[in-house]
Amino acid sequence: MSYTITCPICGKRDLYEFRFGNEEQGPAPDQEGLTPRAYSDAVQMHKAVGGPQKEWWYHRDGCGVWFTVWRNTLTGRETNESGDIS
Amino acid sequence: MKLERLWGSSPFKSHYDAVMIGGGIHGLATAYFLAKEHGMKNVAVIERRYVGFGGSGRNTAIVRANQRSQGNVRLYDEGLKLWATLIRDLDFNMMFYNCGNLNTFHSEAAQGAARLAVSTAQMCGVKSELLDRKQCKELIPVLNVEDNIKYPVMGGMYHPPGGIVRHDAVAWGLAKGAARHGVHIHQNTEVTGMDIEKGKIVGIRTDRGSIKSPRVLVCAGGWGALLAQMAGIALPLHPLTIQAMVTQPLKPVLHHVISSGAYHVYANQTLKGEIATGAHMDPWPNYTTNTTPHYFKHQGEALVELLPFLRGVKFMRHWAGIADMTPDMAPIMHGNDPVEGLYLDVGWGYFGFKSGPITGKYMAEYMANAKRPEILSPFSLRRFEEFRPTGETAGAFSYGPWN
Repeated sequence: MSYTITCPICGKRDLYEFRFGNEEQGPAPDQEGLTPRAYSDAVQMHKAVGGPQKEWWYHRDGCGVWFTVWRNTLTGRETNESGDIS
Repeated sequence: MKLERLWGSSPFKSHYDAVMIGGGIHGLATAYFLAKEHGMKNVAVIERRYVGFGGSGRNTAIVRANQRSQGNVRLYDEGLKLWATLIRDLDFNMMFYNCGNLNTFHSEAAQGAARLAVSTAQMCGVKSELLDRKQCKELIPVLNVEDNIKYPVMGGMYHPPGGIVRHDAVAWGLAKGAARHGVHIHQNTEVTGMDIEKGKIVGIRTDRGSIKSPRVLVCAGGWGALLAQMAGIALPLHPLTIQAMVTQPLKPVLHHVISSGAYHVYANQTLKGEIATGAHMDPWPNYTTNTTPHYFKHQGEALVELLPFLRGVKFMRHWAGIADMTPDMAPIMHGNDPVEGLYLDVGWGYFGFKSGPITGKYMAEYMANAKRPEILSPFSLRRFEEFRPTGETAGAFSYGPWN
């Protein structure tokens, strides 16, 4: 069974060519009045979604671009935003 | 001869004094000790699939107590010593084989890390020693210590009291023992929600109906993060698929557990003769248990370099499980915060098997007294927001020839 994701430059490639760069976490928290707990929540606590999630990837063994894709963590397959296989 | 079931079916009650979510080794052990040592007789274990479906039956069955940080070593050492007592108490042969573990290092950086781990173990009274290349060869004659491979062996960390335990027997033995003490085991029952009122857990919802309970333990292995989400708790977990495989059976030839951080490989010969070997985790989150050819190739390449006699031997079976990894590679055992009565036993990564029974013993104490046992103090969920990780990631496995 092999897995792929789609690099915006190189197209559909083997997943093992890529490095995972964490789930999309939104903008960094505002530094003003930032508590250790809020900072920890932002950088350490994961949504660990069971289903489609938006995540960052780096094409390590390819063109070196950073990009986001939607992937379903219950199937390991790339999807679109609504969870259908793209 | 009439064969008896190891544990029978129980009526599905609407109220229990304590409920474990997850019918693996951790949940069964906690239920067993709650019933046996804390007199709690109205206890249930809820399992979505069947006993031992998850990590309990998917690990490579290795046990050891040579971790990097003292807090961990203390717990795992007690865990190692518990097997013998547990096997006797449960009257169930778990086939504990304390053959010893050799963890090889292949660089000066890893040698330094191994030396620190050995010192930690010795300070905690755990047998562990550094071996040089020649001693490694004397211990394991089939090990290749020549310079003709990508990462030549420099030496190893030898830990005599470790070994392997038959993992299915652990799950079945604990289930049998728990049921004998009156624990209800409900398989094929999926938890769909948690009922929380005024900051206290009052029960859980399942696809077979609701259960009222003042104590709920999340001990669902790789699925722990999803269950904690039902209570509105975010955890620093990544669920990562980790793969393992076995070769065809061979004559007895490998008499120790062998592992190498640089090659990301660990192997042992089972009592059936198969070489059971595990790989590194897929480094992206998945709640799947699929295997990939990437790791068959990786395992094959690594094994024939370290153990050249395996060249040409075939893999017979392969499987995967889910490791819920924390940032510091140490578990989270936490309770009554932020939800009173809700306990977490998660984040075991790939250490959940060797720690199962001892964790059950202390989580039972935690749940019975609503007070964290001293030995679990390093494993609070709050250590992350205090930015006080356990230091476990500084183990020898993190250092390779690339450091």
